[in-house]
Amino acid sequence: MTFALQIIVTGLVTGSIYMLIALGVTLLFGIMRVVNFVHGELCMLSAFAVYYVSVLWGMPFLVGVAAAILFSAIVAVLCQKLLFKPLNYDILTCFILGVGASFAIRSATWAVVGPEPVAIPPTFPGVFVWNGVYVAKQRVFAAVLCSVLAIALAVFLRYTRPGRAMRAVEQDREAALLMGINPESVYVTVFVISAMLAAVGGAMLGTLFGADPEMGADPLLKSFIIVQIGGMGSILGTVIAGLAIGLSDSVTGTVFGGELAFIFDFAILMIFLIVRPRGLFGYDV
Amino acid sequence: MPDMIGAEAPSADVRVRPMRRRGFLAAAGAVSAAPFIIRSARAADNTIVLGSSLPLSGPAAPTGITTQRTINHALEVINEKGIMIGGTKYTMVVQHYDNKYVPAEAVTVVEKMLSDGVRYLFSSGSGNSVPVVEKTTELKCVQLSAASGKDHLTNPKYPFSFRVQPCNETAYAVYPWIKTTYPEVKRIANIGPSDEAGFTETADRRMLAKKYGFTSGANEFFKRGALDFYPVATRLAEDKPDLIDFGGTIGRDQGLAVKALRELGYKGKILLGYSDAQSFVQIATPEAAEGTILFDTLAEPQNDSEKQLHDWWIAKYGPPMPSFAYLMWDWPFMLAQAIQDAGSIDTTKVADSLRKVQYHGLFGLERFGMKSVYGLDCSLTRDIPMSVIKNGKPAPLDVVNWPVGV
Repeated sequence: MTFALQIIVTGLVTGSIYMLIALGVTLLFGIMRVVNFVHGELCMLSAFAVYYVSVLWGMPFLVGVAAAILFSAIVAVLCQKLLFKPLNYDILTCFILGVGASFAIRSATWAVVGPEPVAIPPTFPGVFVWNGVYVAKQRVFAAVLCSVLAIALAVFLRYTRPGRAMRAVEQDREAALLMGINPESVYVTVFVISAMLAAVGGAMLGTLFGADPEMGADPLLKSFIIVQIGGMGSILGTVIAGLAIGLSDSVTGTVFGGELAFIFDFAILMIFLIVRPRGLFGYDV
Repeated sequence: MPDMIGAEAPSADVRVRPMRRRGFLAAAGAVSAAPFIIRSARAADNTIVLGSSLPLSGPAAPTGITTQRTINHALEVINEKGIMIGGTKYTMVVQHYDNKYVPAEAVTVVEKMLSDGVRYLFSSGSGNSVPVVEKTTELKCVQLSAASGKDHLTNPKYPFSFRVQPCNETAYAVYPWIKTTYPEVKRIANIGPSDEAGFTETADRRMLAKKYGFTSGANEFFKRGALDFYPVATRLAEDKPDLIDFGGTIGRDQGLAVKALRELGYKGKILLGYSDAQSFVQIATPEAAEGTILFDTLAEPQNDSEKQLHDWWIAKYGPPMPSFAYLMWDWPFMLAQAIQDAGSIDTTKVADSLRKVQYHGLFGLERFGMKSVYGLDCSLTRDIPMSVIKNGKPAPLDVVNWPVGV
């Protein structure tokens, strides 16, 4: 029983972080049909921003996260203006260009920060022990924060004016234009929000696993799996799929061994692609 | 929770075609520039080219970059005096290629080097070294690997293949030492990456654990570069071993796995090596890393030669000096001595000479041995420095002599 509970807690905590990062991917795809390969690098850059501001420069952790959000947003808007907009957000070209930009950012980071991975001390050190189930306090903090942000995003999209504008542009760009909504402004907002989600996710990953230039690849791959399973562009689907993938990783990793977790993720993805290609709550693309 | 998406995708007519011309021009530019950026391995007369395949990017890059810097400096020192062959002074130049710790990349860069005429090759990582050993043997290229891979690399079939760092073999020296130093250790579990290095390291270590009277516990593998080690650590902690041997686990993976194990309540001993100790402590956190036993790790310089290398590193790259650099220092000097002793750059003669070299390096007497295990003397043998994490820092623990007869 304790063993099973440990597996579930581990899976839900990790899944909530992947969920937050995947929400940024699905937001961009849902509204703009852009598959942003730079998203993982935004996580990585954000983790380094937190490291530089709060570890090297000794400022509070929250200031580090704020700096990471700002930095991530700037990089995302630069990508939007310089890479994706000139290509008219064409899905295939943006995909290929995103891959190239991702490698370029990763290599540049290697050149700047050097070879050694760096650690970001946890905001909440220590471990909770409950009935033989162990979980680091920082993991609990990360899971709660990511869950709160996911709910906040859903509320923002449903009940605020900019959120409704985003949904309007997503549903019919021309009609939104006729209603006085500037799609370009909406696109910038979408990139900024997506970058903010990546920044918080990256900061949490950094406090749990340290930061290094390669750290963005794994969450990005997981995000694509989650978004595909949840349904491209679906917030609810992403939340469910994120937690499910976290659980799946934990169950397969613990029961069958760590090397099988990724295989199982891809097996689930393949089943979805064959049986239900639009995912849980998405539509046919 | 409300769903963002409405029922329909945006209309397709707002999308325009990609800018094919721009993409074509970029691709054409890249292709045109390629011949100018590909370096030739052919060198001037009296120059011996050492090809080097190592990870300069990817999860193992810290190890690769440390190795690159160490080799470069070793060759600077060697070239000051030169390698004298028949009264002629030879120098060595190194050409480093990034294998990203991906075997397919390693095969590609090594094949390029071999086709460029490289006949002395350094290769890092067993997953990268094993796939090329047939080819280097066929071309009589001396392959010096910093890798585990046991008889996949060290084998009478591959007389040109040498391993320049004791890897899985350290267990021949370290396990008997554990037996006497920590008699309370009875059950040993293993963790390693799910690749050539992990499998060969673990196979040897479990075989030797049994040989020296330990009970084998859980045997876990993980995808190299994974982030979350909680699942695999849960399995290991549940097994309740007295000691967990990290075998072929290197770099950041070590720190994350140790951190996860301690967070999940594992109280036993941990044995690992191959990495920079200070970086390990940083990633694992000092609390989790405390008490970790480090095999083949020099915590701080113990003699003048080690201090000299340490001071050079600090002056050039600043602190801290990665302890892995000490392990990569001696073999270029052994190669240089073997070439000089052979009196020729003919690789058959040099390979024979390498098997006879007795070199006094950072760790005392070093030589290629282990004929009793592999059938020929091609695996580096020397004393093994042991360290321990104490008060958040690596501290010297002991020096384990290489076992007699191995």
